[in-house]
Amino acid sequence: MSSFVLHVATLGCIYALLALGLNFQAGFAGLLNFGFVVFAGIGAYASAILSSHGYPAPIGIAIGVVVAMAIGCAMAGLGRNLAADYWAIATLAVAELIRTVALNEDWLTGGAQGISGVRPLFPARAGAGGDLAFFALALAMTAGAYLLYARLSQGRFGRAIRLMREEPALATSFGYRLVPLKIKATMAGAAVASIGGSLLAHYMSFVGPDYMLASETFAVWTMVMIGGLGNSRGVVLGALLVEAIYSAVPFAKDYFDIGSDIAGAVRVGTIGCALLACLLLRPGGMIPERIRSPR
Amino acid sequence: MSAILRLHDVCKSFGGNHVLTGLNFQVYAGEIVGLLGPNGCGKSTVLNAITGYCAIERGVIEIDGAAVNGLAAHRIAERGVRRTFQLPSMPARMTVMETVMAASVRAHGLMSTLAGWGATRRIERETRERAAHLLDELLLTKVADLPAASISGGQKKLLGIACALMGHPTLLLLDEPMAGVHPNLRAELVTTLKRINGQGVTLVIIEHDMHFIAETCSRCVVLDKGRTVADCLPAELESHESVVEAYLGRKSPLNHQAAGTPA
Repeated sequence: MSSFVLHVATLGCIYALLALGLNFQAGFAGLLNFGFVVFAGIGAYASAILSSHGYPAPIGIAIGVVVAMAIGCAMAGLGRNLAADYWAIATLAVAELIRTVALNEDWLTGGAQGISGVRPLFPARAGAGGDLAFFALALAMTAGAYLLYARLSQGRFGRAIRLMREEPALATSFGYRLVPLKIKATMAGAAVASIGGSLLAHYMSFVGPDYMLASETFAVWTMVMIGGLGNSRGVVLGALLVEAIYSAVPFAKDYFDIGSDIAGAVRVGTIGCALLACLLLRPGGMIPERIRSPR
Repeated sequence: MSAILRLHDVCKSFGGNHVLTGLNFQVYAGEIVGLLGPNGCGKSTVLNAITGYCAIERGVIEIDGAAVNGLAAHRIAERGVRRTFQLPSMPARMTVMETVMAASVRAHGLMSTLAGWGATRRIERETRERAAHLLDELLLTKVADLPAASISGGQKKLLGIACALMGHPTLLLLDEPMAGVHPNLRAELVTTLKRINGQGVTLVIIEHDMHFIAETCSRCVVLDKGRTVADCLPAELESHESVVEAYLGRKSPLNHQAAGTPA
């Protein structure tokens, strides 16, 4: 049981990284990214490919971050001439494009089979010790990302991107250049998501194109919206909560004697109900964005 | 005296609606110029054209002797031009104080924010002090910690001016600063604008309030049907035939009343 809790907590931390990254783009900068999971996918593939070629894990993580940021830069650049809603659709298209490439370029990505046998991060520590070490790493990464975004969002850069989110015309009249701001915010979100993806690849010791399904992006969106768009603490809580619901459903299945065939549907349905309840009862999320003056 | 702003033969139409039809006027450094005209004469469009919010079809707009038409709005702002909006829309999820601080673009880079160098911290402190000072000057201190979208329309006008001043403009364009502002505040606003002008800021003010124009402006440019019909002292407005005609049409018995009674 304790190893199960550890498993859920580790996945919770990995998804918290993704949720924090998406929250920086969508919550603070107001960029509706519907292809967000592609950044995590890039990190996962970079780690898997490089580790299968014998490179140490930090190299894979670093390369993943660089590639994800480059794709983030290109993705945000698309927004130059697009309104926010059209940009959202464009990001969805970019993500599908990259997923299709991953599905078909067998020589690089292993195609539909993906890449299995990704080496563990802590090969020296087998079993429970390794799991605990991995959890500690994921937790440290989450804390690091939290502090990073806290600093960025409250500082002068954060004020600029929040003004861009709220009143772009006003921001322009002060002399802000919106495209570079969008690019930087997208890249900052992509970097953390890529680290989350790398961790996921090492943790599951597998990567497949399904990691980049649009439904994965919307799972992260659900976490952000339940937790509280624009509040880092909220989205971490949202990620842990959604992950806990995901993991609790198999137990409920046994308890309520639900057939395995509909267990998946019950899972998605439960998350859907949680999201709906949140939107109706607490539209700002469990911990809404804080509005306060700098001291 | 050198012209800080010069419009030459500026034309702009929206579909078949010819809003600016060969507009010419100049503003000299240190002036307070009132831009007047009936509704729909193109005053706000002039302001949008100068600040890069709408592209003109013909003509030249020069700031400090250099053509700026075709430049992006942020580029024009970089030249020391700031504006306010006729219907100011303010952020719902930022406080008044934060909004004013956000109006300073200094050191807003991602890396400088992340590193938090001494210079960034100094700029942040200076920004906060100046923001507090401007909020005080524009009587907004008591709403400083409220969401900027929640304050009244008149207060938003004042907030817009405070934000514009954060950028240390040399040319400040105000779109109806008095609309929605309580009449009791008029005297204070006039004093504030004159003080700003005394600090070397050239002002162009769109306004319908004739008393305000008379008290504040050193010169008036009157627009009608997208072109200049008068360029005169505020005191001369009343007697200017084309001004009266622009506002009320020809030979109206209400001429005297409508042209106002500038001192």
